[in-house]
Amino acid sequence: MSIQSAVVLAAGEGRRLRPLTRNRPKPMLPAATRPIIEHVFDALLSAGVTDLHVVVGYKRQRVQNHFGPTYDGVSVTYHVQEKPLGSGHALLQAADGVGEEFLVVNGDQVVDPQLVQNVVDAHDGRSGDEQDETAATLCVVESERASRYGSVRLDGDRVVELVEQPLEGHYRLVNAGVYAFTDAIFETIRETPTVDGTTPLPDAIARLVESDTSVRGVQSEGYWTDATYPWDLLAATRRLLADGTNVFRSSNQRINGHQTETRTDAGVRRRRNGVWVAPGARVHENATLQAPVVVAADCEIGPGAVVGPNVAVGQNATVGPNAVVVDSIVDEDTRIGANSTVVDCVTGQAVWLGPSCVVTGGPADVRVDTQIHEGKRLGAVVGDRVHAEGDVSFAPGTLVGSNATLRTGTVVSGLLAPKSEVVR
Amino acid sequence: MCGIIGCVGRGDETLDVLVEGLSKLEYRGYDSAGVALSDGQIDVNVVKRAGELDALREALSEQSVSGRVGIGHTRWSTHGPPTDENAHPHTDCTGSVAVVHNGIIENYDDLREELETSGHEFRSDTDTEVVPHLVEEKLAAGAPPEAAFRAAVERLSGSFALVCVVASEEAVFAARQDSPLVLGVGDDSYYLGSDVPAFLAHTDRVVYLDDGEFATLRPSGWTVRNGDDERVEKSVETVDWNVEDTGKSGYDHYMLKEIHEQPRALRQCLSGRVDERRGEVTLSELEGLETPSAVHLVACGTSYHAALYGVQLFHSLGIPAQAFLASEYATGVPPLGDSLVVGITQSGETADTLSALREARARGARTLAVTNVVGSTAARECDYALYIRAGPEIGVAATKTFSSQLVSLNLLVEYLAGDQRSSEERRAVLQTLRDLPGRVQQVLDESMAEEVAAEYLGADGYFFIGRGLNYPVALEGALKFKEITYEHAEGFAAGELKHGTLALVTENTPVFAVVTGEDAPAKKTLGNVREVESRGAPVIAVTDDDQIERYADASLRVPSGSARVAPVLVNVQLQLVAYWVANALGRSIDKPRNLAKSVTVE
Repeated sequence: MSIQSAVVLAAGEGRRLRPLTRNRPKPMLPAATRPIIEHVFDALLSAGVTDLHVVVGYKRQRVQNHFGPTYDGVSVTYHVQEKPLGSGHALLQAADGVGEEFLVVNGDQVVDPQLVQNVVDAHDGRSGDEQDETAATLCVVESERASRYGSVRLDGDRVVELVEQPLEGHYRLVNAGVYAFTDAIFETIRETPTVDGTTPLPDAIARLVESDTSVRGVQSEGYWTDATYPWDLLAATRRLLADGTNVFRSSNQRINGHQTETRTDAGVRRRRNGVWVAPGARVHENATLQAPVVVAADCEIGPGAVVGPNVAVGQNATVGPNAVVVDSIVDEDTRIGANSTVVDCVTGQAVWLGPSCVVTGGPADVRVDTQIHEGKRLGAVVGDRVHAEGDVSFAPGTLVGSNATLRTGTVVSGLLAPKSEVVR
Repeated sequence: MCGIIGCVGRGDETLDVLVEGLSKLEYRGYDSAGVALSDGQIDVNVVKRAGELDALREALSEQSVSGRVGIGHTRWSTHGPPTDENAHPHTDCTGSVAVVHNGIIENYDDLREELETSGHEFRSDTDTEVVPHLVEEKLAAGAPPEAAFRAAVERLSGSFALVCVVASEEAVFAARQDSPLVLGVGDDSYYLGSDVPAFLAHTDRVVYLDDGEFATLRPSGWTVRNGDDERVEKSVETVDWNVEDTGKSGYDHYMLKEIHEQPRALRQCLSGRVDERRGEVTLSELEGLETPSAVHLVACGTSYHAALYGVQLFHSLGIPAQAFLASEYATGVPPLGDSLVVGITQSGETADTLSALREARARGARTLAVTNVVGSTAARECDYALYIRAGPEIGVAATKTFSSQLVSLNLLVEYLAGDQRSSEERRAVLQTLRDLPGRVQQVLDESMAEEVAAEYLGADGYFFIGRGLNYPVALEGALKFKEITYEHAEGFAAGELKHGTLALVTENTPVFAVVTGEDAPAKKTLGNVREVESRGAPVIAVTDDDQIERYADASLRVPSGSARVAPVLVNVQLQLVAYWVANALGRSIDKPRNLAKSVTVE
């Protein structure tokens, strides 16, 4: 029998994506115009999952609000992780909700449905003996930056080593955060020693590997990207738009010929090759949409504006007359003022960029926590509800904390704290 | 969302099981409901009604309906009329086949044409109705019921969860394709539901049907077959599910869920209706409605507070407007002149408001319903209906629907303003409205209401004051507070305090002062704040202004900006205060004592 239940881990904050995660957890950040976790849900549904469980924690209302009790007709059950005690601990919160066999997927990464399908097939395809001894099946993908993630060594289809962010040694396979487990995993998690009080799920799996319990690895060719840093969101968006498959929701809730709910976040419609415009968006006839680009519902794009390529404009956003937006994510309710230029930029929600603001684009050296990342393609990250009055210039790699006020004619760079005010 | 229920093996209790199951699917919302029961020999009885489940209950109480197997359906739509005819179940020409359906049948046009050509008569506008007629054809050709249903389903393309009863057999037949359908396994009884809660009171053992599968339920047992008509072994799983929690999406109460849904609800309300760049409002449902010379707004409870707000918006246009409590209006209708009478009712079924609208109509007035429910009585009876599109609201205390009413009234006034507003002025209003969902989200993200609520528990009474557009919100803040906390609370126009109420103000009566903007009314309200402070009352400022915080013991912040939409933001803070106080007191928040969601008696 194929696996019916899945647990999506969506409790984490995503510190390295601050300031974007000030008001919502990392899985709710946008990849194209849809939250990352929605892509995960789609992948699970296409693999036949009929029972979704989500572990929520940090800013959990945002997840619960977005999905409500069902997603495309599949029931969604929420489990709360009260404190951030690791992904293993998070999974334990859902222990009572799932059966003997279930899938687990990290909610903060964009996964091709193929990855999930590969794990389901490998898990279902086990012979009788294997079923008795296999406690976990996990998906691995090739990555040149394997050492940045949980790295995996395989012997055939058996995982022989699982190590988090190895400092040395050559690794090319990454744990993609897509698993099939039997309920034995819960006991293993409980037995796994905590690290700084937390229990990461990979630690529990590493424990299985070390104890000679069979952990199977299945290598997938499907697309996978982990959103760790702000520029990852732009890369994921580029990839999704190039692919063109997951740009809009696969199905609407239509019942008896009538749309039962006015789901204004759904139903983006393809206009022409690589240009998707949702019904209810208003694009001026003199505006230019350069493929690939997606414009969500209720947006207004003014005359003379040039939007795209590689731009996702979230619901109810506004791009003013003669503004230019390239390689960027413009999130919900955000306004880009007339004559502004925005390149390589991720905005939060309800950001106000007044007239003639300029985000010149990358490359930039970006400081995240204590680390400097050199040569990243990042113009700026502008937190939720930042108000830039007008004629504000953003140096490459600027990170502006949410609710900051940038007065007219200012030049900003580096890292600005939330609620800060910048004057000339 | 629609809900399906089916039941076999409960004998005379069948009808009760069906109606109870429908009530458990309540969170999916309602605009029509129906049941069909078969005695397994000659008859299928169908009863269905537009409106809430109570309308169906009433219809059932007036006639004797019985059967040993049955099916039921509820429907909620924001598009298209919910009429008795369009409600499910649907039947064939002979009345011996009844079907309920979720999903959409894509080749419905072709099938209907084909069936009509061969003499079938259709009574509804739905795609569903082709199914019973197809089954009828196969039965007439001599197929046994199970095979007839199967053959009919094979003709369909699209998405569906279908459940069917026929007169001649004590059985329920079901098929699933891309729409949810679950089978429940009891001791000697079997169930179908679009969701587990529909039958969870009877069994927690369930079988999840897969796409392309057919299920047949008989008193002797159940079987599932695949598309090739081969029997499928399905595993029976036990669910651990709390009925009460279903639909709350991880929230403790529907009310809190609905408070948090407000950004989305407001987006839906505005969607497709505003063109900011051109400064235009489109309300297609109001086509033909001319700018009135005067307006009467009639409503009850929370909706009445929306009406008070609407009055001030009409006044800003220079249109004389008055708000009336519907029950008073119906008792003695004031001179109407050429007034447009606007009834505001979430459910569209509020008896007092319906009665007031009928009185006005009888006197020749044009009437307009502002409502959340498409095809509700108010919407049907009025000349015009403006839908607020807030989605189903389950909590008895109105939250998101009030916000959506305020925004809808803004749209209505801008729509009717015509040339009285320059497109520049209107553009500014529309910009404010389009920014509103994001600002409401900001209030939700940053609210300190839970902390404030904890600080002021156990007071003798709570007062809410405001002026101008903030006056209706002060009244609403107090109403929400008393509805769910059962504590004494009153709302006042700020200037009225000194004309009497100040006598009640003590050190143990916190005052929530709503002060937004920096205009003259705000400055005057500030004076009123000082009046209560000098009597020693704790003051909680609900404000967008740093200055006012200095005079207050605590403050609840809202984003600054337009005075016109500030009441929406302020109200979210007051909703949260009421919620957190009620929560701390352990009240029955979603179903306060003595109150009903929709008051359908005068």
